[in-house]
Amino acid sequence: MFATLRSLASKIRAWFSPRKPADDEFAQELEGHWELLTQENVRRGMDPQEARRAARIRLGGLTQLKETNREARGLAFLDTLVQDIRYAFRILRKNPGFTAVCVLTLALGIGVNTAIFSVVYAVVLKPLPYPDSQQLYTIFQQRPQDASVQAGFSYLDLQDVIAQDTAFSGMTGVSAHELTLTGHGDPFIVRVSDVTPDLFSVFEQQPLLGRVFRPEDGKPGAAHAVILNETVWRSVFSADPNIIGASINLDKRVFTVVGVMPSSFSFPLLSGTREVWIPVGQDPMFESWMNLRGRHWLLTTGRLKPGVSLAEAQAELDVIGQRLAKQFPAENAGWEIHLFPLQRFFVGDVRSPLLVLLSAVALVLVIACANLANLLLTRATSRTREIAVRTALGAGRGRIVRQLLSETAVLGVLGGAAGIFLAYWGVNALGSLIPESVPQLNPIRVDHVVLFFALAISAVAIFLFGLAPAFLAAKSDPQASLREGGTRSGESIGGRRARGIFAGAEIALAMVLLVAAGLLIRSFSKLTAVSPGFDTAHIVKANIALPRDQYRTPQQWLAFTDDLLARVQAEPGMQDAALVVPTPLADGGIRVPLEIVGQPPASAAESRTGNYVAASPNYFRVMRIPLIAGRFFTADDVMSTPRITCISAAMARVYFPNQNPIGKQISFSFPSDPSVPREIVGIVGDVRDSALGEEPKPMMYVPFAQAPFWGSDLVVNSTLSTASVAGAIRKDVIAIDKDLPVGDIAKMTDVLATNVAQPKFRTELLVLFAAMALVLAATGIFGVISCSVSRRTREIGIRMALGASRNSISHMVLREALLLALAGLAVGVPCAFAASRLLSHMLFGVSANDPVTLIAVAFTLVAVAVIASFVPLRRAMRVDPIVALRYE
Amino acid sequence: MAPEKSEILQGTLDLMVLRTLESMGPLHGYGMARRIEQVSEEALSINQGTIYAALVRLMQRGYISAAWGASDNNRKAKFYSITKSGRKQLNAETRNWERISAVIGRVLQLVAKS
Repeated sequence: MFATLRSLASKIRAWFSPRKPADDEFAQELEGHWELLTQENVRRGMDPQEARRAARIRLGGLTQLKETNREARGLAFLDTLVQDIRYAFRILRKNPGFTAVCVLTLALGIGVNTAIFSVVYAVVLKPLPYPDSQQLYTIFQQRPQDASVQAGFSYLDLQDVIAQDTAFSGMTGVSAHELTLTGHGDPFIVRVSDVTPDLFSVFEQQPLLGRVFRPEDGKPGAAHAVILNETVWRSVFSADPNIIGASINLDKRVFTVVGVMPSSFSFPLLSGTREVWIPVGQDPMFESWMNLRGRHWLLTTGRLKPGVSLAEAQAELDVIGQRLAKQFPAENAGWEIHLFPLQRFFVGDVRSPLLVLLSAVALVLVIACANLANLLLTRATSRTREIAVRTALGAGRGRIVRQLLSETAVLGVLGGAAGIFLAYWGVNALGSLIPESVPQLNPIRVDHVVLFFALAISAVAIFLFGLAPAFLAAKSDPQASLREGGTRSGESIGGRRARGIFAGAEIALAMVLLVAAGLLIRSFSKLTAVSPGFDTAHIVKANIALPRDQYRTPQQWLAFTDDLLARVQAEPGMQDAALVVPTPLADGGIRVPLEIVGQPPASAAESRTGNYVAASPNYFRVMRIPLIAGRFFTADDVMSTPRITCISAAMARVYFPNQNPIGKQISFSFPSDPSVPREIVGIVGDVRDSALGEEPKPMMYVPFAQAPFWGSDLVVNSTLSTASVAGAIRKDVIAIDKDLPVGDIAKMTDVLATNVAQPKFRTELLVLFAAMALVLAATGIFGVISCSVSRRTREIGIRMALGASRNSISHMVLREALLLALAGLAVGVPCAFAASRLLSHMLFGVSANDPVTLIAVAFTLVAVAVIASFVPLRRAMRVDPIVALRYE
Repeated sequence: MAPEKSEILQGTLDLMVLRTLESMGPLHGYGMARRIEQVSEEALSINQGTIYAALVRLMQRGYISAAWGASDNNRKAKFYSITKSGRKQLNAETRNWERISAVIGRVLQLVAKS
């Protein structure tokens, strides 16, 4: 052991010290040895010249001895490595075309992988920006028959869960909405998060100034307290150091500032928003909900105790859920308690599409590697002679493999570097492409983790594409290559077979990607072909939010909107105008529980819900929502007349099967609209209000005049340009209240586009990747066929000399291409089936085994195979038999 | 890379060099090669140059040391001599060698008897 270490030290010392003196010394030593041997031979009676020759034979080859001595002295492998790399650079410089193609292919493969990975890493993999964030879980209530709804807890239920649970070190419930902040300069809207006081301890956060909430802040009757985030503190209060203890007004209610949180913390909103936190019971809008056990409104987050498993936590929550259901059957029967990592709360449904994209780019990289392996094999063929000569001169197989691998390593490093460069650029391009609905908790950028990923995949890629060609080249028989003498015919059967396999694999993988892209394209076209149930073509929407410190009562809200609507409708070409809240697809649906008057209340497990919309009478005509039965609202349906409602066809179908709902009464409420019985006067067409891809839900509409609200959208159906509609609306709003801003004027078609931005994004990316795969596979086929044609030039010449027609030659070449394509397809079809199953939940209106897509892709690939073999085919047909035969 | 020699041959040559140096005192390469040839009664016919690979190896491990001196014909020659750790290694290796050859001998006898 000690001797080995000493030996290594001596080698390293020798490697770093100059070679020349040591070489000379050894040469001198050998010279002396030779001299002595010669003298010995002379003593035995040889003549001097003969003696010297015999001595040399007994001593052994001088050059070899010196070589061995030098290698034994120092670190031979380092010497050869440096030599190999230098040689590799020389070879690559001599073949700029080949080098460029290889580096570019690899750079593309690594670049897109790194870029997509940076997105996946930032969005899905990187831990949330909270301490020990992997211990944080979202806890929610759910009914087994309605698993898509993950409901929050009521305040009372949450208190019970917290009291009974032992698996979590803390739990906190939050709900967010907007309030108007006044008392400091211009009034403005802040995002208010109503929280139980434990929020900050659950997230392990320290304040920048002041304190976080204490348990007593959550008690009824506690002094009103607010915590600002740094953004609000800096922008509204100019970073006032004496802010603690100051008073601010939120919707006319006075709160005392007790703390400021650093901008690094935000919850439940994303960072950068103007966020303030208040204890949940102190919100003027929600204080009435504190004692309602049936409201599922608090998003609940818990910190799992270290060492407690997910299964243990779930088991305990199961028990608590059953206990709550037994204790409060009216509100909790049929509800279970579940949990998932907090990450999923933010990231939600973008996780699997992103992972699909990542797998897709990984496939592109594999195809790129197969292509490179093919290129290298082709080149190894033309270098057979060089390698044979080297082998004949005494290079061992290991030595040759090492030299070829160094070449691929140099290629790989160049390609990887170019790929990382490409990724930097690609991340910026992607950043602007990513739909806003993809949550970006962490900035998307090429950081050290992403760089490490890029290096790792570069290494894997080098290994993938470099190893097989190197070994095959080293295995070839030098004698055969030297004997054949030609440079064209030396390829081994192994190499040919490997190339065929690589090309076939490329086709199979390209098939997987093409099928995935095809399915997404078809799904996307079906999605965009879906009618949302209303006219989008000429609709412009404008958001009106009345400041509540100025417009305090529903009467004031109504007076404003009546005035505005009258003015807008008086504008030429803008008669079709209406008010609505919420606007379908733009704001999503507001789901509220409802009861049917005269029927026993549904059990908690089967509670009825509908999406609530308040709209002015003209709304249905403006949006071209058809009347199915009964009547629309009229201008006569006001506060003083009986409360009425129109329901959607889906609600009639679900809650009034085989009955005529007209004339029946249902009751429901909205924070500003109390629960009263309302008579159903009409049934209107279904509308997809939350997402284009989701089936229309039961909906009920109430006249805006019976349920006014401070915020609403003005929708105008007009053939005028968006700019002139927007201008007219602004003019009319200012005519009523010159200080009122009009925010967010948008075309409904843009709203629609935003709604399908995510599927569009992933479809576009996958199409891009599939196109890359197709081009790479086409190059692969081209390479194999053109190589095979040039290898068979002589054979083709003989065939033609013997009378083969051009047709039969072209058959021969095409058959090879088709066989390759079919073999690829034979492998690709089952792979594509397996892969498309992973996509199934992202598809809309298309089955994962869609035969149209499969057949179209298969035809495309066969066509590409034929086209790719066209150039080599023409070369084969132009072979002049005489030239071909003379060639050898 | 140097062509690999069989492990036994390498080890054996090293052992013979150490043994020679221990019994003969400082020697140069030629002297050592001659001596090994004589002792092995010319049965071991190797290229004399091979000995230098063994010498580099032994030097690196610190079993031998070298110094320039004058040879019989008054030419400059490098003389090698065994070091203390070289002697220790030689003893260990010799014991090892004897044990193995004894074992092999016994096994061979057994095979011959049966």
